[in-house]
Amino acid sequence: MKDILLEFKVNGQPKKVYVDPNDRLLDVLRDYLDIKSPKEGCGTGDCGLCTVTLDGKPVLSCLTFAFQARGKEVTTVEGLGNGKELSPMQQALRDAGAAQCGFCTPAMEIMVTDLLKRVDNPTDSQIKEQISGTLCRCTGYYPIVEAVKKIKEEER
Amino acid sequence: MSMEVEYLIEQLQKKAERGELLYIGESLNRVDDIEKILGKPIYTADILPKQTLYAKLVHSTIPHGYIRSINAANALNNSKVKAVLTYKDVPGINESSAVIPDRPLFADRKVRSTGDIVAAVLANDFRAATEASQDIKIEYDPLKPIFDPLEAMKEGAPLIHDAGNVAKHMKVYKGDVQKGFEASDIIVEGTYSTQFQDATPMEPELAYAVPKENGNILIVGSMQSPHITQSGVAKALNLPLSRVEVIQAVTGGAFGPKSDETPTDLGAIAAIGALKTGRPVFVNMTREDSMIMHTKRHPSITKLKTGATADGKLIASQAEMIMETGAYASLGVLVIVRAMFHANGAYEIPNVKNDGYLVYTNNTFAGSFRGFGAPQAFFASESQMDELAKKLNMDPLDLRLINMLRPGKRTSTNQLMDAACGLPECVEQVVAASNYRKKVKEYAEQKGNTRRGVGIAILHHGNALGPEGNDYVYVHLNVDRDGIVYLGTGLTEYGTGAISGLAQIASSIMGCKLDRFRIDRPNSLKHKESGPTVASRTTAIGGNGARDAAEKLRDRLNTVAAKLLDCMTSEVVIVDDIAYSSSAPQKRVGWNEIVDEAYRSGVSLNTIGYYMAPRCIWDEHTGLGSPYSQFTFGAAVADVEVDIDTGVYSVRSYYVAFDVGRAVNPRNVKGQLYGGTVQGLGYATMEELVHKDGRVLNPNLKDYYIPTSLDIPEEFVPIIVEKGGAIGPFGAKVVAEPPIVLPGPAVRNAILNATGWSVDSLPITAEKVWREGHK
Repeated sequence: MKDILLEFKVNGQPKKVYVDPNDRLLDVLRDYLDIKSPKEGCGTGDCGLCTVTLDGKPVLSCLTFAFQARGKEVTTVEGLGNGKELSPMQQALRDAGAAQCGFCTPAMEIMVTDLLKRVDNPTDSQIKEQISGTLCRCTGYYPIVEAVKKIKEEER
Repeated sequence: MSMEVEYLIEQLQKKAERGELLYIGESLNRVDDIEKILGKPIYTADILPKQTLYAKLVHSTIPHGYIRSINAANALNNSKVKAVLTYKDVPGINESSAVIPDRPLFADRKVRSTGDIVAAVLANDFRAATEASQDIKIEYDPLKPIFDPLEAMKEGAPLIHDAGNVAKHMKVYKGDVQKGFEASDIIVEGTYSTQFQDATPMEPELAYAVPKENGNILIVGSMQSPHITQSGVAKALNLPLSRVEVIQAVTGGAFGPKSDETPTDLGAIAAIGALKTGRPVFVNMTREDSMIMHTKRHPSITKLKTGATADGKLIASQAEMIMETGAYASLGVLVIVRAMFHANGAYEIPNVKNDGYLVYTNNTFAGSFRGFGAPQAFFASESQMDELAKKLNMDPLDLRLINMLRPGKRTSTNQLMDAACGLPECVEQVVAASNYRKKVKEYAEQKGNTRRGVGIAILHHGNALGPEGNDYVYVHLNVDRDGIVYLGTGLTEYGTGAISGLAQIASSIMGCKLDRFRIDRPNSLKHKESGPTVASRTTAIGGNGARDAAEKLRDRLNTVAAKLLDCMTSEVVIVDDIAYSSSAPQKRVGWNEIVDEAYRSGVSLNTIGYYMAPRCIWDEHTGLGSPYSQFTFGAAVADVEVDIDTGVYSVRSYYVAFDVGRAVNPRNVKGQLYGGTVQGLGYATMEELVHKDGRVLNPNLKDYYIPTSLDIPEEFVPIIVEKGGAIGPFGAKVVAEPPIVLPGPAVRNAILNATGWSVDSLPITAEKVWREGHK
């Protein structure tokens, strides 16, 4: 029964949807609001590809009930830039060849953005720690780490 | 002329001196990654049509037995459930198998593994379909299952398939192995085993089907080879090929299983459901479904025996590999062929006897996975080389230097190595980069409980399909009215960037900028069948198709430009969107002016390129001959640290050098060296899909570990060696698969170097290391 009213903000926009108590935040974003960047790689909280931020903190949207977002602000990759051009962070990922199949890329961007908000010049091990819950099967992670280090260098 | 154009012309001339073109060898950004990075809706599950029904697959709960009855009445009572599909709903031939017709689409009479699909439940949403799937009652008459391939091979073992439990016996026989062993001063023997590995593409297999008004069926999915799905679906639905339109959506990783049966299973089931209900049907696979139902890497047991002279010259090698394919043969009949061609390592050995057996069991089935038999083969051969070196009291590197393939040497199948054999350069460079000699000396002096060790492993890798099929490709190029170039082919992109590499080749030849290129979504009705996207063949084979198409367009573009420039066609140079005459370079015309003129004057800028690799000649009875047109070579050094009290170890550094012939895009080549190696390190150190009584115990990412960012070596040095090959464009060789092969033996040999302990079974867990040291 979709009888719970969920009012929250997604990428700065106020949203109002009726949801089922069992609905996951991932379902509401993907199926109700047509926001497709969070991916379902497992549905059990192991791969990290559904990561979005809830009030600024990264969460696994497959393990978050939709109603838990009530009154809060959700950010996805759609809200990171203007949706047309790459941001400097995104350009750095591109220049490093960090997106191969691309399926983990949105979640990686959420985690990288979160790190750079808190840490100015992250070390290799800080970067690896930050993305350690986000699985990638294509890149071996090296190009992603390289890209994150480049972002900071460019800003300096 | 502007400085920029002068600079480009200078670069062009430099490249021309190498017989190359402007963008070849440049790490240009790929043309298809912007929308991925922007998080655009491009994957299968992102683009479902409205009113789609969701299908949940129901798989067998027993590993072997007859189906007595299937009762879907309770499920159908659920108002959200629209249909339940079983074998009775298959309009055509109920079969989905890659090579040997041994596998039904829906299990009908018999089930042979817990991965067999028995039914599909179609409902308004996936949750309802999943819940209703619990209400399907299936009764079985169980048969005695077999899970051990050695048992399955025995006389009188219960038959999994009527034709017997050995699906294929592959031989490579050269010289006289018995005489070779008699002439040997030293003989080593060992048994090496490997496990089921799951490819775990981050996006599981998915597909949806839409019934079209004209009677066609449209299938969109995550897959490697749309034309394989097309023919499988056409057979199951009893439709002509021309009525089955299959489009590959952007695909979130593949690594092999997405070229086997699963995409056909999903496409056919979605199509049957769509035609039955008149609505689009989406077959969703959870991670668990995928890990149970798709193909995995074959487990193997290899008995290997090697004979050498006292000074380390290899004389004889005998391999017997039992490769477990689970319930169905899938591509295993070809995997065992590649394994046997490579089973003695990258060495010249005069006497060889290899026997490979592909054996059925009642475990879930195995098939294609990056490496295709090579990881199992080289784990055995490269491990044994270090045991031989130990017995000879020789450094493992020196033993390899004596015996390894070089120009003028011959492989196990007697194939002659020509100047394109870059193995010596790979070894030299990886040894230098890793400080191998110095480390060997230093580490020999260690005392404490924490020990470092270095291990080396080398390989050759027969390129592309070789004996596995006709190696041909079509590439379509079409320049539209705006000067945008559409590149289409039956080959697919699933992460590597190889299709972007084809655009890079075409743009180099046509003289326009790479960012003018768009990749057409591969479509079975629009693009010609180009064989499967497997065997790392996109650049080496597909690149030649792109070259052919681009050269055809280049001739037309030159003719048009000559008219505009008022010069001879032979004088036209087009570079970076600008055309000029070599005799009067001051006058220039731009890309769009040429395109405009072509459209005005009836010159078509739409064409199809074609390439077929030369046929490979080898003898089926002895395995001898030249099964591959060219080889990739590689060498790796792993540096490990082992706690000898606990067996816990880590790979501290990893160095790798690959001879890729010519790196069309070095950054993308390195992407394969990184990604392939880390997937290989997973295979070497942690990954194992475990079956118990035929059930997969760990079909999830909680219990099946793949490497995270915290598991990768701190230091990783990728080195590219370029010894141009015979057939690839500009000498390019394949690169995507070989890097996954070396971590297993390199890590195993490094642990041996650190501790003196030989762990001969993958994955090398801390427990195995500890047990080996405390026997």
